[in-house]
Amino acid sequence: MSEVRIPYEAKEKDLKVMHVGAVPAEERPKAALELLGEMLKYKRSLKLYLDVCTHCGACAEQCHSYLGTKDPYNMPVARVELVRRVYKKFFAPGRSFLRAWEGAKDIDQETIDLWYKYFYQCNQCRRCAIFCPKGIDTAEVTIAMRELLAHLGLVTKFHAGIVKNMKTTGNNMGTPLPAILDGIEFLEEELKEETGLDIKIPVDMEGAEVLFNPSSSDLFTNTDGFMSVAKIFHKAGVSWTLSSRIAETANFGLFFHEPTMREHNMKLMNAGKDLGVKRIVAGECGHGWRTWRMFTDTINGPLPFPVVHLFEEVLDYMRDGRIQFDKTRNPELITYHDPCNYGRGGDLMDQPREILRACVQNFVETTPTKEYSYCCGGGSGILMDEAMEIRMALGQPKAESVRATGAEILCAPCAICKAQLPVVMNHHKVDVKVKGLSDLMGRALIL
Amino acid sequence: MADLIVNGQAIPLDEDGFLEDTELWNEEVAKALALTEDVPELTEEHWKVINYLRDYFAKFGVAPMVRKLCKDTGCDLKTIYELFPSGPAKGACKIAGLLKPTGCV
Ligand code: SF4
Ligand code: SF4
Repeated sequence: MSEVRIPYEAKEKDLKVMHVGAVPAEERPKAALELLGEMLKYKRSLKLYLDVCTHCGACAEQCHSYLGTKDPYNMPVARVELVRRVYKKFFAPGRSFLRAWEGAKDIDQETIDLWYKYFYQCNQCRRCAIFCPKGIDTAEVTIAMRELLAHLGLVTKFHAGIVKNMKTTGNNMGTPLPAILDGIEFLEEELKEETGLDIKIPVDMEGAEVLFNPSSSDLFTNTDGFMSVAKIFHKAGVSWTLSSRIAETANFGLFFHEPTMREHNMKLMNAGKDLGVKRIVAGECGHGWRTWRMFTDTINGPLPFPVVHLFEEVLDYMRDGRIQFDKTRNPELITYHDPCNYGRGGDLMDQPREILRACVQNFVETTPTKEYSYCCGGGSGILMDEAMEIRMALGQPKAESVRATGAEILCAPCAICKAQLPVVMNHHKVDVKVKGLSDLMGRALIL
Repeated sequence: MADLIVNGQAIPLDEDGFLEDTELWNEEVAKALALTEDVPELTEEHWKVINYLRDYFAKFGVAPMVRKLCKDTGCDLKTIYELFPSGPAKGACKIAGLLKPTGCV
């Protein structure tokens, strides 16, 4: 490879953690074809999506990736066509694999380069699927194709680094336990200073009712939101704990590597079992939530206890009258960003709005909103610095829809969105502060 | 990325411009890294943040939570961004010779 790829490729030594090796460049086309053949056998949806597209074009203008980059390959139909053309030649009914291989021209190194490039410019946001009359979900194709690329040894440096951190420390940031404990002690002091109360942040407390699983960035940049959660549990009188084995809801395996997703799920389930908790409460993370709600039962088998989202848990407290909010403490004009994996992937659209109605004074919806809302442009882990130019283009439609509201605060309750949106808003000169919903709940909570 | 040349010695950088080997850090290296981050001069305030980050890193192997960094150095986030335009996790950590914080940041 003479040219450097964006996003950067992981080096071979960094792939070991996923138990994949790098296939030499000249062997990749043949290996890719075999992998695609294998995948088609068990991924019925992939085969269907490759078969049924009528090329009607209804998806083209609905993808923020195309709208922001104006690159025709980023139209959902064109993105999938990069695989479909190989599929049609080698696998579609009436074709013979071996016969076709002899004259194979349609899969070469260039095809694989295009796959790497364009399946890492799809945020797996699923907006296209809402508009496709045939129900084709390009995000699923992207997930499958990134999985295929991973088996060829083509993974981004960013994604591979996160998998490695997760394995060694139980969180994506790679924060070792002593640093987590040090941070938590500091936050307890901060809570004391702010509220005058002894609000605890327990770790590994056996028999607690709730195991709370935050995003690790809650313990690095988004500490306001994390402190708010501690206040809410305190006020509701619920015994809760963190686990020293895992402090990460964000499950990057969903984006590109199923075995990684499964292992992450196992880790959390075992942590919950060993602590004897009654349920796991997932913190603000879109795709992590989608993994729990939509994939864990099918991939890991039945869960021994429920996994609920923080917002569902808070709504219960509100309905039982265990906590109250004073909305005058959030007087600004506030709008809401639906994380794609809540709105289009995790059945979480009305719950955050119900909470917002209780804890903010002035709320305005974006247009489009809810299941039609645009992605932040960081979805599926497109958060690497080297892709900054692309990230800003991917975030452009969202920036315009936020600008049009005139809001002062953009509530975006997902760790990826919280990392991406401030940079996007700044780049597109939209004057708005980005906060989690937890932050707003914490400000309004009557202690 | 191209090596950083400090006093005629080549210091390898990774693709993000962070030190490949955090052991190779010294004050001269910090000054050279600062130039890659649009920080023309390292003032006393810069050094306060850098030294804090280095102490924390030596003890825990990672960067501290941003809130703790602000509290312990007395620099609020706005000041940190003024000192290190690409922010605490990027500019400040890079110049202080830490590993690049990754994840949803
Ligand atoms: S909307 Fe669906 S059927 Fe039409 S071109 Fe797009 S993917 Fe194909
Ligand atoms: S999933 Fe989202 S980013 Fe990907 S093709 Fe569909 S609309 Fe575009």
